[in-house]
Amino acid sequence: MIPGRVRAGWGPLLGNVAVFLLLAVGSQLLAPGPVSWDPTTWSWSWSEGILVLVTLLFLGLAFVVPLHGGVLNLGLYAEFLAGLTVASVLGSISSIDPPVRALLAVFGGALAGALAGSLLVWLKRTFAVHEVLSGLLLGGALLPLAREMPASALGVGPQSVLAWGIILLILGVFLSGVFAHFLRASAPGLDLRTVGQNPLAAVAAGVNVDAVQLWTLAMGGACAGLVGAVGLTTQASTVLYWPVPLAFAGITITVFGLGSVRGLFLSSILFAVWLHEPGTAAVLSDPGLSTLIAALLVIPVLWTLPRLHPDQGAPRAVWRTRHRETY
Amino acid sequence: MKDVVRGPGGPLRVKGLTVADGPRWVARDLDLEVKPGDVHMILGERDSGKTALLRTLAGLARGERGSISLGDAIEASPRERRRAARFITHERGLTHLSLRSRLLLGRPPRRLAMLIHGRRAQERALELAKRVGLEGLLDAPVEALRPLERRLLDLAAALDDSPRALFLDEPTSELGPHEARHLLHVMKSVAREDRIPIVFTSTWARDGYPDVDQITILSRGQDPVTVDAAQVTESALIERWTGGSPRRSPTGPHAPGDSLLRVEDIVLEGRGRETSLAGAAFDVRSGEVLVIVGAPADGLNLLHEVLLGQRAPSRGSIQFLGKEMAATDRRQRVDAGMSFVNPPHARDQSLSHFTVEENLILGQTRRGPFTRRGWLKFESIRGNAVRSLADFEIPEARPRDRFTLLGLGFRQRIVIAREVLRNPVLLVARSPVQGLGLEAQEYVRKALVLQCERGSGLLWLTEDPEEALRVADRLAVLAAGRLVWLPVTETLTREAIIDEMSGHAA
Repeated sequence: MIPGRVRAGWGPLLGNVAVFLLLAVGSQLLAPGPVSWDPTTWSWSWSEGILVLVTLLFLGLAFVVPLHGGVLNLGLYAEFLAGLTVASVLGSISSIDPPVRALLAVFGGALAGALAGSLLVWLKRTFAVHEVLSGLLLGGALLPLAREMPASALGVGPQSVLAWGIILLILGVFLSGVFAHFLRASAPGLDLRTVGQNPLAAVAAGVNVDAVQLWTLAMGGACAGLVGAVGLTTQASTVLYWPVPLAFAGITITVFGLGSVRGLFLSSILFAVWLHEPGTAAVLSDPGLSTLIAALLVIPVLWTLPRLHPDQGAPRAVWRTRHRETY
Repeated sequence: MKDVVRGPGGPLRVKGLTVADGPRWVARDLDLEVKPGDVHMILGERDSGKTALLRTLAGLARGERGSISLGDAIEASPRERRRAARFITHERGLTHLSLRSRLLLGRPPRRLAMLIHGRRAQERALELAKRVGLEGLLDAPVEALRPLERRLLDLAAALDDSPRALFLDEPTSELGPHEARHLLHVMKSVAREDRIPIVFTSTWARDGYPDVDQITILSRGQDPVTVDAAQVTESALIERWTGGSPRRSPTGPHAPGDSLLRVEDIVLEGRGRETSLAGAAFDVRSGEVLVIVGAPADGLNLLHEVLLGQRAPSRGSIQFLGKEMAATDRRQRVDAGMSFVNPPHARDQSLSHFTVEENLILGQTRRGPFTRRGWLKFESIRGNAVRSLADFEIPEARPRDRFTLLGLGFRQRIVIAREVLRNPVLLVARSPVQGLGLEAQEYVRKALVLQCERGSGLLWLTEDPEEALRVADRLAVLAAGRLVWLPVTETLTREAIIDEMSGHAA
């Protein structure tokens, strides 16, 4: 990896910028009804904005961390639901003080997400089920259970939401920075990139491919599970903003960020700002315009994914598990 | 029985063809005529643009300029050529089918437009299989076939469409020399019987003899030259291609020392129709080059996999420095002092999108000079790259260049630099010069043999008898899963080795 270079090339970067500008400007122009640019009339708040940013950042991390190891984490929704379910259960224990309960729910949610992610790797290793298939199936299996959970039980008051958001944002930024540095400058980071780039060469170089994929998916699952717990903690309102299913938010953020951690961080900020533009909520409430926006969010996959390098999730690394040929 | 419909025939004519492969020219103003019944070879090292030229001839890619005609057409468009001719490459899919089903996949005889006519389909499959000598294997699954049989099957399946020309991309690349001869002989028979031109690519000059009519030589940086195979001897062809003639090893025979690797009675069952290893035994001593030559499907691939630790033998032992290693994996063998160099195009020895300096430390980051407490030491990594590039004479490359941008010969030098600088006790090299240009071949050979002279043992596995003769101190032929030892003398010839490989030795 060469720091400072746009590895996917300038074409996809310019394409993504163009799509984002179209999205930002178009949603103001097409918004039904008058759009007020007077900040005092907005229903916007710092706490909400920060929590949306945290959600997007962690969803992006949940997808991008396994992607660098050549694993497509489409089980992100299952991990999110696992986190949500466990956080709900822990949050409903009324004998624990609310702040401790909330903290416990967040850790429990992250742990449940990590376990769900690990389960996908175990299924792949034991039964040769592709992680995409098992991830989607696990999401379907967990959905009825998650629906039965109480909607809000943690009791984090509105006055604490901003503090929660800031703490989680600091955690998210710290984790992004650590992961970027780990990828670039550490021996296990080099191993991870080797697995993503060429599992055959990784096996030949003595890297335990299964172990690397296990911890990357567990880490991705922990991020998704944490989003599940955060959604519950904050009355789940942030989740409702996003126009495409939540699991795809991670993919969109990753694709707009060209598969890099820095790009992921930047695109999380941009999308959090876009979601709080005055006309965006109005546009997203219109079914036709919402569909158009969802299509715009998906389109960059067409030019971004084929140009990413294998250790950033290029198709050949994602779709093949070639290292198995050597077992 | 109804005959398979024969193609109408007609020459392949190329005039002023210019072909580019990415940023470089492959051919400029190429003129060519391949008559019906002729077999034409495009000879060039790997990455020289052979496939790009062949794809253009077959209509799968567009040339920059020039005209190509096929049969009676004055100028055939790429679409017309695609329809009239068949392009055969190494097909990896469809392995679950039986040979019979594979042969009928394209155009099975039909009844009532929709139903397959069972009896006619059987007859057609048998007829096609007979043309290439595979009639005894109709019910075998494709995945069980040997590489030669797969190439013959590809050929037979293409004939089902009665093509007006055939284009084959490196059909001999996975074959031993005797198998390649057999395939080329069948191709010549098909060309003659069907009166069609056949064009194929190869990295081996030897494939030009005895069944090829004309040879187009692709050499990087020079315009292609076409020669008549009957007018040029093989050594003259190589000299014309590479600008020189191959020499034997740089320093001649060596004085062997202690035994490093002792392999005893290795038995391992082959996959499908691959020949099993049936008790191969040998030992490699320090300071000597032991060459084992054989066809990949005659046990060479199996032996390589056993040495790499990818497959455990069902019987026998592998002792390295007196320690049993049969059940260990590649990592443990590398840690014990073994080093592996694979063919230049092998996917498992380098990372194409990583930098040169990253490729030079691949597999060496657990301990040693390039890491401290799990973090990479960038200065050591950079210094290692600068030194390695200087020592191995790769002035074109810089440490942070992407590996894939280098030529194949330089990439292989970098792999060898990495392996040799570990100062291994034993080097296991599998066809390390396959497909390289002459200069790169000689450099790679020299680098490996020099390491041997420093005291390492060198075990060289190859399917190429010429390569074996150039480096061997001792030489064994792997035939029918067993080793046949041949004395390395001035009188040992390539033909004698090929005879042993094919089981035709007296």
